[in-house]
Amino acid sequence: MFRYRMSWSELAWLGHRLSGVGVLIYLFMHIVENATLSFGPEVYDWTQTLFRNLPVRLGEILLMAALVYHSLNGLRVVLMDFWPATTRWYRPLTYAVIVATVVAMIPLSLIMITPYAPWGGR
Amino acid sequence: MSVGRRIWPVEGDPLRRNPSRAAKARPAEPGIERFMWYFMRLSGLALVILALGHMGIMHVLVQLTGQEINFAFVLERWGNPFWRIYDLLLLVLALVHGVNGARIIIGDYVVRGGLRGLLIGLLMAMALVWMLLGLVVILTFDPATAPANIGPFS
Repeated sequence: MFRYRMSWSELAWLGHRLSGVGVLIYLFMHIVENATLSFGPEVYDWTQTLFRNLPVRLGEILLMAALVYHSLNGLRVVLMDFWPATTRWYRPLTYAVIVATVVAMIPLSLIMITPYAPWGGR
Repeated sequence: MSVGRRIWPVEGDPLRRNPSRAAKARPAEPGIERFMWYFMRLSGLALVILALGHMGIMHVLVQLTGQEINFAFVLERWGNPFWRIYDLLLLVLALVHGVNGARIIIGDYVVRGGLRGLLIGLLMAMALVWMLLGLVVILTFDPATAPANIGPFS
């Protein structure tokens, strides 16, 4: 899996797996966290305070990046599996997925980090 | 490179049998594995909308409008059947999609039969418990009784 030299396309494939596993682990945690809803307002609101800090927010930004990447790369997989002629653009589309993820994450992470940023001032 | 009009089965080069070079090529014979191959792609398309929409509302829109996610927020949200069904669909599709992905990854890296069976069995048991937990929370949440904490878990 971790050969010394890895092509961008192999990295894209590995990224799909890692981001998928990351989002799944978050989903398991999120279902447990949401289950505190069934214990009434005090328990749920106390649980939510555990998530209002910088390390968790950074994790949420990472989660957003994983989800955006997994979504875009997944769309590429669907496109190519159902219309194999598009494999002609395998390399540019793979790069486009990576570039689009990075570009999308610039405004998204700026918005999400707001409460902890100098300009956010909460 | 010329790729023919005939989609499946494609002869020859393995890359053409697996155009996207995803983990698995489409299984040739009908059955559960082929069903799951289609399920991953179709649920994936739905999840692009559902999961990104969910993240966009909960982490971006809530931030931009200066709101806070708390019990009152969920109470108002789940008072609307649209969002209850949205979250129900998201839960079921995301959990099945994610667990099937994990099953394929375990199958790829754990070659030994006994250990592989054990890990996949554990994964399936976990998936079932978490699915039931998620479903119970969404389906039994009653805006009339929840704030007073007289619901099923109280």
